[in-house]
Amino acid sequence: MYTKPAIPEPAPARPRRWLTVLGCLLPLAAHAADAPVTNPAPTRADWAAIADLPDLSGVWAPGPLDKYTPGGPEAPQWLPNVAKQVEHLKQLDAEGHPQNIYVNCLPEGLPSSVTQNLNSVEFLVTPGRVTVLSEFDGNRLRRVWTDGRPHPADPDPSFSGHSIGHWEGKTLVVDTIGFLPEVFIPLSQGVGFPNNGDMHVEERITLTGPDTLRQDILVHAPKVLAAPWHASRSYVRHRERNYDLVESSCRQGDFLETTDANGNFVYVPLPKDAGGDRLPLDQATAPNPSGTHP
Amino acid sequence: MTPAFRTLAVLATLALAPIGVPVSAHHSFAMFDPSKPMKFEATVQSLQWTAPHAVLWVDAPKVGGYDAGVWSLELPTSPANLAKMGWSRTSAKAGDKLVVEINPMRDGRRAGQFKRATFVGTGQVLSIGAIPGVQPPK
Repeated sequence: MYTKPAIPEPAPARPRRWLTVLGCLLPLAAHAADAPVTNPAPTRADWAAIADLPDLSGVWAPGPLDKYTPGGPEAPQWLPNVAKQVEHLKQLDAEGHPQNIYVNCLPEGLPSSVTQNLNSVEFLVTPGRVTVLSEFDGNRLRRVWTDGRPHPADPDPSFSGHSIGHWEGKTLVVDTIGFLPEVFIPLSQGVGFPNNGDMHVEERITLTGPDTLRQDILVHAPKVLAAPWHASRSYVRHRERNYDLVESSCRQGDFLETTDANGNFVYVPLPKDAGGDRLPLDQATAPNPSGTHP
Repeated sequence: MTPAFRTLAVLATLALAPIGVPVSAHHSFAMFDPSKPMKFEATVQSLQWTAPHAVLWVDAPKVGGYDAGVWSLELPTSPANLAKMGWSRTSAKAGDKLVVEINPMRDGRRAGQFKRATFVGTGQVLSIGAIPGVQPPK
């Protein structure tokens, strides 16, 4: 008969409080170097300080570009090898073959969100950040950190980049790096050129009157521009409710709203031409051979 | 200044602004041919009230060399901006008879850039007003 060997039970460990305390501290010490940095909860004083900043509340409708007009002296100065390509793209656009710089519904990023946006913009000023909401082709979101943090040493590239800002009187001064190299420097909705890397954008957003605002941008793009490009945009403040930003999805328009054979509501993808224009379902691939203008 | 008056003042200011700004958001309208404008009667299928551009879908009989069928008429901007011009998603309803004025697509497909429409019977006009940054189609 097998008899289980008697294994003496270990004596209860005597509590060694100093060891327990050390055990708790060790993990902290080991990870102190990469402990997560937290955003402190805003205090009443932080919220109160907002009241002393320029009032950017309301909805801001952009006006025409003030400084840059296509072909004007303030147009981007491209590097010679880029200028040739841009001229070719402009020629194609003039012939009815625009470049599809926005039709894929990817975020437009900077500088397009300033220079090409035709929809309203909101600036939400809260402790430690300014959040920029807009409607360019669909709801868009951008954050400008005003809590004193620096840029990351190696930010993950994004469409709007990594923005840090501070206030100088009535002006929000913003510095942005970390752009995806594919982000366009646009001349129009139909012609743009990718920044190709290392783009850096400086901005000054300032109240110029009770209900007017100006946004100046200086685009440094050493891979494609021969000199920094300065563009500016003016905005008018609206408090009418029909200016309130609404839900806006860039992809929603790609679908026909219809019903299926069972009467259920469905989206059906719409065909498009190369320039992004939506077409009747029966016009997808075959241009109307008899399509002559009456 | 009342909000309405302020809006008018802004529009008046912008009317004097230099041309040369983009015509529309999202995509170029270079695929349309402003040198060959068309005008024909059609029946509304739907007003697609979606970003980034709304679309007026109409059904038309044979027009010139175009077969009878559905046309997509692209509006120049988003519902949010159209609402500021006085449009709504019920501005045109299925079955409404309209005389539409468009710039057709260059490649001959049944699609075009919406310019204006007049309701048959009432004469009421749907048009594209000026809003900041958006110019009416030529």
